[in-house]
Amino acid sequence: MIRGPGVSRRSFSAGLLAGTAATTLPLPAFAQKKGGDAVMAQSSPPPTIDAQTSSAAASRNISLHVHETLFARDEAANPVPDLAEGVDVAADGLSYRFTLRSGVNFHNGKVMTSADVKASLERYAQVGMSKMFMLPVDAIETPDSKTVVIKMKNVFPGFIENLSSPRAPCAIMPEEECAKPAGQGGRIGTGPFTMGEFRSDSHIMLHRFDKYSQNMNYKQRDGFAGKKTAYFDSVRIRFMPEGGARTAGLQTGELHVIEALDAPVAKRLESDKNIKSYTMMPWAYQTLIINNAWGQTQNLSFRRAIQAALDLEEIMAISTSGLYRMQPSWQHPGTAHYPGVAGLEKFLKQDQAQARALLRDAGYKGEEFAMMADNTNRPHIDTATVVSEQLRAVGVNVKLTVTDWPTIFTARTKPEGWCMWPLLMGIEPYEGPYGVVGFFAGASPAMMKQDPVIEDAQKKLTTSLKLEDRIAAVKMFQDRMYDQALSLKIGDSGWIQATRANVVNFAPYRIPRMWDVWFA
Amino acid sequence: MLRLIVVRLLAAVPVLFVVSLFSFGLTLLVPGDIAAEMAGQMASREEVDQLRAQLGLNKPPLERMVAWYGGVLQGDLGRSILLNQSVGSAILERLPVTLSLAGIALLVAALVGVPLGLLAAAKAHQWQDQAAMGTALVGLSLPDFWLGLLLIWVLAVKLQWLPSGGWVPFSDDPIGWLRSIAMPAGVLALNQMGPLARMTRSAALEVSNSDFIRTARAKGLAEPRVFARHVLAAAAVPILTVAGISFGIALGGALVIEQVFSLPGVGRLVIGAVLRRDWPVIQGGLLLTAFVFVAVNLVVDLLYLWVDPRLREQR
Repeated sequence: MIRGPGVSRRSFSAGLLAGTAATTLPLPAFAQKKGGDAVMAQSSPPPTIDAQTSSAAASRNISLHVHETLFARDEAANPVPDLAEGVDVAADGLSYRFTLRSGVNFHNGKVMTSADVKASLERYAQVGMSKMFMLPVDAIETPDSKTVVIKMKNVFPGFIENLSSPRAPCAIMPEEECAKPAGQGGRIGTGPFTMGEFRSDSHIMLHRFDKYSQNMNYKQRDGFAGKKTAYFDSVRIRFMPEGGARTAGLQTGELHVIEALDAPVAKRLESDKNIKSYTMMPWAYQTLIINNAWGQTQNLSFRRAIQAALDLEEIMAISTSGLYRMQPSWQHPGTAHYPGVAGLEKFLKQDQAQARALLRDAGYKGEEFAMMADNTNRPHIDTATVVSEQLRAVGVNVKLTVTDWPTIFTARTKPEGWCMWPLLMGIEPYEGPYGVVGFFAGASPAMMKQDPVIEDAQKKLTTSLKLEDRIAAVKMFQDRMYDQALSLKIGDSGWIQATRANVVNFAPYRIPRMWDVWFA
Repeated sequence: MLRLIVVRLLAAVPVLFVVSLFSFGLTLLVPGDIAAEMAGQMASREEVDQLRAQLGLNKPPLERMVAWYGGVLQGDLGRSILLNQSVGSAILERLPVTLSLAGIALLVAALVGVPLGLLAAAKAHQWQDQAAMGTALVGLSLPDFWLGLLLIWVLAVKLQWLPSGGWVPFSDDPIGWLRSIAMPAGVLALNQMGPLARMTRSAALEVSNSDFIRTARAKGLAEPRVFARHVLAAAAVPILTVAGISFGIALGGALVIEQVFSLPGVGRLVIGAVLRRDWPVIQGGLLLTAFVFVAVNLVVDLLYLWVDPRLREQR
């Protein structure tokens, strides 16, 4: 849809319509009903409700009901206009001219203008969690109240992908709200719900915004974009850390929607006619981040020994309770930058004899191998446990340390003291290649040591105007990751969201969307 | 009496100071800070460093310590980064939940545990004693999180008598409040009932062999009256001691129970702060906990004076 520079707004709109037709289904034959107070539960409270400043899923679940962006992702994760009517990208890729939708209301009653958009983008460049994508921006101009022109210092073909990402959304807020420092903004947006009472250890209230300006360029909900309609009077999002209590709440009807359901619990509830569960595949992929700058894993033979020692499918089967698929690419099939899987077969088969031989080549003498995992995410612990056992089976002396997330985060950003840790990458592969490749490139790559081929791939990905060149860059990245065992991808995992049976028209997505759903 | 209160409160100052030093030391020793949590798990080190600078977390420890003590001396416990609110008001908002939970639990535990202990003492070494102490032991032994989940399954999911969790303020709906607090308080009460019943039995047995109890029986007083009027009064001091300790334990137990039942109390606030390294809240929460323990001990001491005339005369 976003085909890069040279795409005129006219041709872009045609693409939009084609994309919409391709990604949406016929309107369901249900009678929509306004009203009702829905209750949704998620496991964690948001670390902040300032949408721009957090990439935490717990924040996104809330902020994407309240805030909107110039471009957003459609059902298939493609960038499509949301608060913008469209964009004209200059032929040289150095200018983006956004035309804004008319009459879009903020929750404070003000109508959105280009001044608000400019202030929001400038705030994002200062405090946004993914503000790196604003670095190529040279200037933001507002020739009139409906037009925003972004001038770039250099070509950055991933600009719209980043601008439309829900990871740490580049939320458009009123100009006066943009003066607030990080962590203190974010209560006023243009979304279908307004933000009400927030108690960080209990709940947040969302109320239907009756003056919400629907995007009439669409016929219905489409990912984070589309024509959104809020039916519930209010949505109470409860923060319930105990999984059993969340399930019990859904069973009793105290909760109407829950953000996640474990696969075994979903299976147990299959016979419960009051509950509907919705599976998404893929949701994320499980990876093992390897420290290339410290310990045994500096040695290529040792890293390849790890690669040979692992039974990837066993790891996925156990860590996801069966909700997985084996797919080796570092991009999801069917997405714009998918590079295929040619040439990867030889890296995917467990070969313990080869692993032992590679350990000998590496001169490994049974030194302690420091693996760590956080207890925030069950698949991380399960992955680390299974991987540890598989490595022990070929003679690696694994020491597994499990701590809470802030401790692991501090440890893993240091270049020494650890060899490997598991990470479930969810939103980044959904976003496309930029977050994935960028995670392993730049000044502080996840594997702790810059790799020249990965750097080259990153450069080509972020500067090539042709899609085929960018796909080639992703393939270069992928081949290098496997060949040098810089870090490992294990497989794709799924995700289950669940609702009470009386919640109509729910469709699972990156967050449980509470618009375009209603009570039967 | 007033002198006792003043002396005990003054004695609490060094205790609170040590607790505050300890909690501040933790901020230096425990790795990680709230910036990592706010940034999310895929954030780069640069992104987190940037956020850390914006939040003022990269100031030297001494500077932070001086600022914090300066605030505490003026009654300001600091500002929660996570909540964007003063720690004092965050705690005060949640205190009614935790205090009512622990208070009701203790009340129920006392109303059940003390008569159970008296019954066991009155029927010592008989089947009633075994049954009462067995019940107390079961209550004491069951892990509260497990019991909580079991009760949710039975009372909320299966029977649908009570909500599975959540909190209804008393001012909004007294019946809703009672329903929301019944299960969590019941779980906590069952845990506290055990020590109270066992201590009551032990103290009552000791007292029931005293000369004045024999005199009471000799003059023909009925056994229930002997226990209610004389044994219980004489055994009240050790029972009060255990009740005071139980209240402290109930406050600690509330940390777990608030998680299981999704109650927005101080325990959940502090646990959330620990998991996210919201240091001002952790420090404030620890100070408050220490203060509550000091206050409970003071109240117990005052109750000693009330229930035991000999102690009043000694003063």
